[in-house]
Amino acid sequence: MTQITSGKQPLQLSNPVIGASGVFGYAGEYARLIDLSKLGAIVTNPITWKPRRAAAGTRVVPLDSGVLVHTGLPNPGIHQVYRTYAAKWKASLVPIIVHLVATSPDEIGRCADALENHEGIVALEIGLSDQATHRDARLMIGTLRQHTHLPILARLPLYYAAHVASAAEEAGADALVIASPPRGTARDPLSGQLVGGRVYGPWLKALALRAVGQIASHVKIPIIGSGGIHNPGDARDYLEAGAVAVQVDSVAWVRPDMVEVIARNLGGLELTRAAGALADEWQPGMGETAATRAQLLPSPRPIVPPSELPE
Amino acid sequence: MQEAQAIIERVRRVSATVQRLDVAVDRAHRNVGAGQLFLARTTASFDPYLREPWTPVHRNGSSLTIERPAGQVYTPGQIVSLIGPIGRPLPMREKIRTLLLIAHEATPAALMMLAETALAQGAAVSLALLGAAIHYPLEALPEEVEVIRGDDQGKWPDQPETLRWAEQVFAVAPPPYDMSYYTQLLDSIRQVKMEVPAQYVYGLFQPPLPCGVGACQACLIRRSGEEVPACTEGMAFDLTTLHLLAPEGKA
Repeated sequence: MTQITSGKQPLQLSNPVIGASGVFGYAGEYARLIDLSKLGAIVTNPITWKPRRAAAGTRVVPLDSGVLVHTGLPNPGIHQVYRTYAAKWKASLVPIIVHLVATSPDEIGRCADALENHEGIVALEIGLSDQATHRDARLMIGTLRQHTHLPILARLPLYYAAHVASAAEEAGADALVIASPPRGTARDPLSGQLVGGRVYGPWLKALALRAVGQIASHVKIPIIGSGGIHNPGDARDYLEAGAVAVQVDSVAWVRPDMVEVIARNLGGLELTRAAGALADEWQPGMGETAATRAQLLPSPRPIVPPSELPE
Repeated sequence: MQEAQAIIERVRRVSATVQRLDVAVDRAHRNVGAGQLFLARTTASFDPYLREPWTPVHRNGSSLTIERPAGQVYTPGQIVSLIGPIGRPLPMREKIRTLLLIAHEATPAALMMLAETALAQGAAVSLALLGAAIHYPLEALPEEVEVIRGDDQGKWPDQPETLRWAEQVFAVAPPPYDMSYYTQLLDSIRQVKMEVPAQYVYGLFQPPLPCGVGACQACLIRRSGEEVPACTEGMAFDLTTLHLLAPEGKA
């Protein structure tokens, strides 16, 4: 078991690989492509107090080795989502973490109240906006803390993660998710217009990994690394940088099978090549864990997050 | 829906703009319906990042024929990963006698299997090629299909008569022009029919699909007061149920 959060009721998951918000839907949308029970948890798509419509115009712009997505956080509102998915969450084989987005402390409090005492939810994740200040982080997370007994994961914006991490910790977050996909702008080849949205791709790992290394040295609560993870090696890099777990996102779009490979790998499951399996379903080191790797190394290098990173 | 490997067996260049691939597919992918598609990954690299939409135009036992732009490079023997079938089969009426297909600024590939099915049932099929679609190679179409060439505004000669003749209409237009064209089409139909019956005219949506399973919410279409993913509830929608644009072009 991996302890994902600190606090009075620490969240423990069977696997340190979590499906990120915005990619895995609300419950079992990916169940036909991925064995979701192999994951430690799934974070739902963002949910708001009131219903939100999908963004008008272009929502997806292909990039070189990546993609820009602007959905507008569409959802039918917390009550309708709850009515639709409560039974599925309760019956889900994989623990469910609900991702909340709000524009005011009042809204986040109401959302938490609507979900309190529900059996199927193991934690709440709050998404902080890209412009969030220390004050915003304290206000939003502090209010959420007052309204829920569930562990709180705070997902921080990439470029301001280092600035608001301490405020999130002080306000009562039980873990930090570093980071949400950054915002970008790209020209839509179909309409010819510039479109803003969140960007995804393997190159994002270098940016988020640096933020994890920076923040791990000055917060005491666990960190969940997220961004650009496309193979087990990427995920292990986050653990080496100081994260206790990882969230996988857009790899599910390009290689859904890889989500399971990453989860099996970090979950320490020994994978043997089953009779009739294709050669490319197995790779050396798939079953290795950090513990077994440490045993193999003559003198394991101590993991010390650098206090100051080179520019 | 399933992810499985497939093998490109043959690559045929149909015209300067269109090529067709004969692809041997897994058993789970053989019973793909008209209008359904696959999300294909042809390379181990992440460029292109998202999977390509592969639309079957013909089904023959364990093999599917996929239409792709001529500029893409494919080789016989190439192994690809397919996710699908995506979407629902096009809801063509049983015992249909007259079917009108419309391609506006888009390849009619997504309508080809529907045309084959209708022809096999003895129906008369007309295909209106409008805008840039007039350059679509006719040699790629079944001989029995009547081809109508229209203009850039989405009109063609004898349009009212054709719309009255058709028992059902399926149209395809690419993003970002899909909603505006479907609004115009529905308006044209309302001028020749007092009341547009349900399940008479359908529009296909072809937005980029990151996930194909209804999870990412990038392909939501507003229908009858709710928003539904095109990849699981479409790709075709009854135009009378959609929240289309106002005639002035404002929502």
